[in-house]
Amino acid sequence: MHKVRAYRPLEWALPPRPVEREVISRLPDTETGRPPLLFVHGMRHAAACFDEHWLRHAAERGFPAHAVSLRGHGGSGGRDLLRRATLRDYVHDVIQTAVALPRQPVLIGHSMGGLVVAMALARYPALGGVLVAPVAVDHGLGSALALGRHGPLALLRGLAGRTVPLRPEWLFAQLDGDTATRHMAGLGDESPLAQYQMILHGPPGRPLGGAPVLVVGAGEDRLVPAGDVRRTARYYGTEPVFHRGFGHDLMLETRWREPLDQILSWVAELPQVTR
Amino acid sequence: MAERGDPTGRTATYCVIGAGSSGLAAVKNLRQYGFDVECLERAEDVGGNWNFGGPTSRVYASTHVISSKPFTQYPDFPMPDRWPDYPHHSQLHAYFRRYAEHFDLLRHIRFGHEVVDLRPVDGAAAWQVTVRTADGVEETRHYAGVVIANGHNWQPKWPRYDGEFAGELLHSMHYKGPDVLRGKRVLVVGGGNTGCDVAVEAAQHADRALHSTRRGYWYVPKFTFGRASDQVNDLLIGLRVPRRLRQWLFRATLRATVGDLTRFGLPEPDHDILETHPIVNSLLVYHLGHGDITPKPDVRRFDGYRVTFADGSEDEVDMVLCCTGYLATVDFLADPQRLNWDGDRFHLYQHVFTPRHDNLFVAGLIQPDSGQFTIAHWQTVAIAEFLRARERAPHAVREFLETARRKLDHRYTAGVDYADTTRHYYEIAHHDYVRGLERTINRLRRAACTR
Repeated sequence: MHKVRAYRPLEWALPPRPVEREVISRLPDTETGRPPLLFVHGMRHAAACFDEHWLRHAAERGFPAHAVSLRGHGGSGGRDLLRRATLRDYVHDVIQTAVALPRQPVLIGHSMGGLVVAMALARYPALGGVLVAPVAVDHGLGSALALGRHGPLALLRGLAGRTVPLRPEWLFAQLDGDTATRHMAGLGDESPLAQYQMILHGPPGRPLGGAPVLVVGAGEDRLVPAGDVRRTARYYGTEPVFHRGFGHDLMLETRWREPLDQILSWVAELPQVTR
Repeated sequence: MAERGDPTGRTATYCVIGAGSSGLAAVKNLRQYGFDVECLERAEDVGGNWNFGGPTSRVYASTHVISSKPFTQYPDFPMPDRWPDYPHHSQLHAYFRRYAEHFDLLRHIRFGHEVVDLRPVDGAAAWQVTVRTADGVEETRHYAGVVIANGHNWQPKWPRYDGEFAGELLHSMHYKGPDVLRGKRVLVVGGGNTGCDVAVEAAQHADRALHSTRRGYWYVPKFTFGRASDQVNDLLIGLRVPRRLRQWLFRATLRATVGDLTRFGLPEPDHDILETHPIVNSLLVYHLGHGDITPKPDVRRFDGYRVTFADGSEDEVDMVLCCTGYLATVDFLADPQRLNWDGDRFHLYQHVFTPRHDNLFVAGLIQPDSGQFTIAHWQTVAIAEFLRARERAPHAVREFLETARRKLDHRYTAGVDYADTTRHYYEIAHHDYVRGLERTINRLRRAACTR
C-alpha cells in the first residue's frame, strides 16, 4: 500500500516560482469528444520537438494536442533561473498546464518528461499517463551507466554540474545527417539539479484516481536501457511496448507515425471518466 | 430525476448537500473513488460563500483570501501562477467554476434544489432527503449516504447589548461593500478578520470609524521577509522549529516592525502569538497609525445614537456593523442528535465522522488557522476512503467508528487551548489537523487493501 502524504509544510512554504510557459496547441477542426493530450519533453528538448510531427497528427485523429515547454526550455520563461530548477518545478509546470485545460488530459512524457509525468500522475488525477522511453521511475543509474559507456566525458560533464552533451547517434536511428543536425541545433541547456535528480530519485506515488499507464520503449535506445523500461512498466503493473528500429527520440524519427498511432489507439480505449 | 426518487431506498447514490468549496471537493473525490454522487445546491451556481450575491454568500466586494495560494488551493488543482498570493473572491469563484468544469462535476449537481429535511430510513441504511425547488415544489429522494457540506459562515451570530440603538444595526452578513458607510459615523464591532477588514473600509469611506474589540490581538501583516506570512510560519514548522521559538521569533519580528500597538490605544494582547488564530491584516495598523480608526473596548449599552463602552467612554454613531461571526447549523437535519448536537455544537470525530452512522458525514465544518479548501479536500478524501473501506472491510470500519467514539472530543489545536467561544469550537491548527486526517486516510486505506 502506498501511503498518502497530505501534510506537506515545506511544499506549502516554498511554492515553485511562477513562470510564463510556452504551450503549443494543435486542435481538431471539430469537437470530437476525445480527451486532450499534454506532451512533456525530455532533457534539453522543448515543446517544439512534438510540433515536428506528433501534435498535428494527433489533432487530425481528433485529439486536442498540447505540448508545454518546461521552465528554462524552449519559449518558456525561467531561463535565468534554470540552474536552480528541480524536477519538482517541472512537475509544477506540467500540472499548471494540465489544470488550465478544459478537461482532464492524458499526460504523455518523453525521457526525463516521462519521469516528470510519472511524478505528476501522483499529484494530479489525469485521465491516463503515457511514458515514452522514460527515465526509470525508481532511479536513473541505468541511463547514467549507458551514457558513461557511450560518452564517458559527457557523463563527467553532467556530474560536474554542466549540461550533458548529446550526440545525434544517441538520439536517432533513422534520420539522415542533415535532419539530425537540425534537431541537435535546437537543443538547449538543462538544469544540473534536474540532471542529478534523474539519476537519484525515489519512485513516485501511485497515479491518483488509478489512472492507467502505458509504457513505450525504443528498440535502439542508447540512453534508456530496455531493462529500465521494463522496470518502469512493472512498477505500474503493465507490459512495455517496444518499437523496433527506433532511437531514443521516437517522435522525431522518420517512422514517427508508428509509436504515435499505437499511443493514440491506447488513449482511444481509455474510459472517459477517472475512477 | 425519477430514478433517484426510488421510494424503496435501494439506491447506491450518495448525496452531497451544497456545491461550495467543500461540497465540490466531496463530489469530485467520491467520483474519483468510483461512487455515484448527486449534489443538491440551493443557489443557481457553484461557490457557496464565494458565489458573490448568492443566498449563502457572505463575502463583500473587497474580500481577498487571508491564506496564501499554497494553503488555500485544492492540492490536485493548483491556482494559476499568474494569480497573486492572496486572490480576490471573484477569482475564487472562477476557480470553483473551473474546478467543476475540469473534473466534469456539473452534470452531478442539481441547482436550485434546497434541502429542507434530512432523516434516516431503513434503520439508517439509507437517508431520505426532501428538497424544495425554486418553484416551491417539494420532493423526497433516498440516498445510500449523505455528505453535509452546507457551510458554517452564513447564519449570523448577533451580540446582545443593553438598551436600544436608534441608528442602523447591521451584521457583516449584510455588508457587501463600502457604499453603505459613506457619510456616516460607523462603529464596527468584532476583532476577527472580517471585523478588521470592515474597520479598514470604514476608515477609508465613512465619516468616522470606531472599532470595538473585546481583547487585544496580534495583527500579522500579509507579507513578512518578502513572502506571504503563512509561508514563513510553515517554513519554520516544516523545519521543526519548536512552537516556543517560533512564538519568540514572531514576537521579535512584530516588535521590530509594527511595534507596540498600545501606543495607538489598543489593549495589550492577553495571550501569546499563535495562541489564537492570527488576524491577518496589514492595513488596520496603518489606519490606526493615521488616526483614521478609533479603537474602543467592548460595548456596554446603547441609548438612542449614544454608545457607552466598557471603559465608561461614550460616543455617538449612525451605524453599528456587527462582525461577530456566524453560527454553525444544519437546520434541515430532523434530529440533530444524529450529529451529536449538544445544544451548542456538533461533536464529530475529526470534525467529519459521527460514531452513530457509517453513512453520514460533514465536510468543511472547521475554522483553520490556514486555508480552507486544501483541508476540505483531505476531509473528503478521508470520506471516500471510509466508504471504500466500508465496502471492502466492514469490520475495520466498525473498529474505526469505535475509535471515533472514544476520541470524539480530541481537538487538533497543536496543544494550544483556543479560548472557548462558539467560533473556537471548530478551530484547528492546520498542521496538527492535516496530519490527523492523513493518519485516518492511511488507516482506512490499509484496511481496504488488506481486507
